[in-house]
Amino acid sequence: MVKLLIIEDDEAAAGSLKRGLAEAGYAVELAHDGERGLQQAQAGDHDLWVIDIMLPGRDGLSVLKALRDQGRRTPALILSALGKVDDRVEGLRVGGDDYVVKPYAFDELLARIEALLRRVRSFGSGPETMLELADLKMDLLSRSVTRGGQEIDLQPREFRLLEYLMRHAGQVVTRTMLLENVWEYFFDPQTNVVDVHISRLRQKIDKSFATPLLHTVRGRGYILRPEA
Amino acid sequence: MFGVWLSLVLLLCLLGGVAGFWWLQRRRQQQKEALLRRQLVSVTQSSRQTGDNIAHDLRTPLTRLRADVEDALRHDDSEMHRATLERVLDEIQNMQNIVNALLALSQAEAGVMRVRKKTVDLSGLLEELIELYIPSAEERQLTLQGRIAPNLNIEADRQLLARIFANLFDNELKYVPAGGTILLTALASGPHVEIRVEDDGPGIPVEMRDKIFERFARLDPSRTLSGGSGLGLSLVKAFAQLLQGEVRVVESSLGGAAFILTLPASAAEVSKPSP
Ligand SMILES: Nc1ncnc2c1ncn2[C@@H]1O[C@H](COP(=O)(O)OP(=O)(O)OP(=O)(O)O)[C@@H](O)[C@H]1O
Ligand SMILES: [Mg+2]
Repeated sequence: MVKLLIIEDDEAAAGSLKRGLAEAGYAVELAHDGERGLQQAQAGDHDLWVIDIMLPGRDGLSVLKALRDQGRRTPALILSALGKVDDRVEGLRVGGDDYVVKPYAFDELLARIEALLRRVRSFGSGPETMLELADLKMDLLSRSVTRGGQEIDLQPREFRLLEYLMRHAGQVVTRTMLLENVWEYFFDPQTNVVDVHISRLRQKIDKSFATPLLHTVRGRGYILRPEA
Repeated sequence: MFGVWLSLVLLLCLLGGVAGFWWLQRRRQQQKEALLRRQLVSVTQSSRQTGDNIAHDLRTPLTRLRADVEDALRHDDSEMHRATLERVLDEIQNMQNIVNALLALSQAEAGVMRVRKKTVDLSGLLEELIELYIPSAEERQLTLQGRIAPNLNIEADRQLLARIFANLFDNELKYVPAGGTILLTALASGPHVEIRVEDDGPGIPVEMRDKIFERFARLDPSRTLSGGSGLGLSLVKAFAQLLQGEVRVVESSLGGAAFILTLPASAAEVSKPSP
């Protein structure tokens, strides 16, 4: 079972987070302040840490920095207070791997945890040159895409979008994750810009084929997978 | 409350100005006083309206939330409960957006928002933003076109710049009726770059062209249409100022609104970002 440590002082928030993550199949351990969080992280063999920045006593950034200084490389997702624009940069600088602003949507956090765990699992397998999902193939060197042997013509951005989806195949990715990773914008526009790009991509990769690969997960985001 | 303090400070400054000029020239002073009095009135009015609007903008959704939840609790219907919770979540998201925007605004205006300036390929960024918005524009039967001079490089914060244009494009997509045209032009003009976002939509009446950049200012005060809260353009203005630029709105030759953003063109022109 995948083990998570959540360092979060708001016990009510930590409690519902724990319940949600347990329902998603994770073993969850809680710590309510920085000092104890640090000890639990050092003592445990967690697969991922979720660390709130604003903690009583020792703050989250200093906890993470201490852990990184000890050479611990467990992936860390940082939770920051609303509106602290600089926390993202600061958090990534001390060794955070991803970052979510409070108040966050549970699904956003879950999707990012899954993406981080996935990234760790595929780490060390060397640079890939080919991505495949069912009969969809992406050649990263020649930058070409085929489905069922048939060439699919993609714009450069559509290629990046599909590449990101293929690297996270089988896993929900949110609109915000796509904006950050495919377009490199760290804010959410009002207009549903991502949705329309997704539906254009879907036209190209799914329209003339029997089994759709790119699915919308209502209220959460998108998932690329062979079954509905 | 922010607005009230701001208006107090402004009041003091204006009064100080009056006192200084008093013994200088009686005639000029009389004219000035009249002008200042008008400004005082408009400053206090607008800040009072701002305060009222914050309260209004948060109280309206709170009232709705409360009524909705109470109604659901009176019934023993799980389907209804579910629908209520979904509406509650939407409403929370709206309030969260308002609070986020207000926080960003006060941070930007107080100069505590850190600006990460680097050389930005403005031409490239604008092309990218057009590419990002074109499908959404087309979905609403709008034509979005760019006439962007090549190689415009500026010292700026890419995220702030993108947020400025995203806000302007979000507005275009909301306020320009189907069939309309949106044009983005960017060119170097002396020590500045000038970027225009204009359209053939309904435009902004002359008397509203300054006002529209104030918090919560909307042409349709009922807030029923499209449901915006009137904070987008105040963010645009605050971010433009953080980048040592400015923004204004005039009438477009296309017939609608033209938002004009001017930014310093080169590194030499740019003062150090605030700490
Ligand atoms: N291109 C435009 N054409 C006509 N009217 C516009 C245009 N852009 C903005 N407006 C008017 O200016 C008002 C203020 O715009 P602003 O972006 O500040 O707020 P909003 O769009 O109403 O809400 P928010 O951006 O906070 O969601 C709008 O409500 C609208 O009436
Ligand atoms: Mg707006």
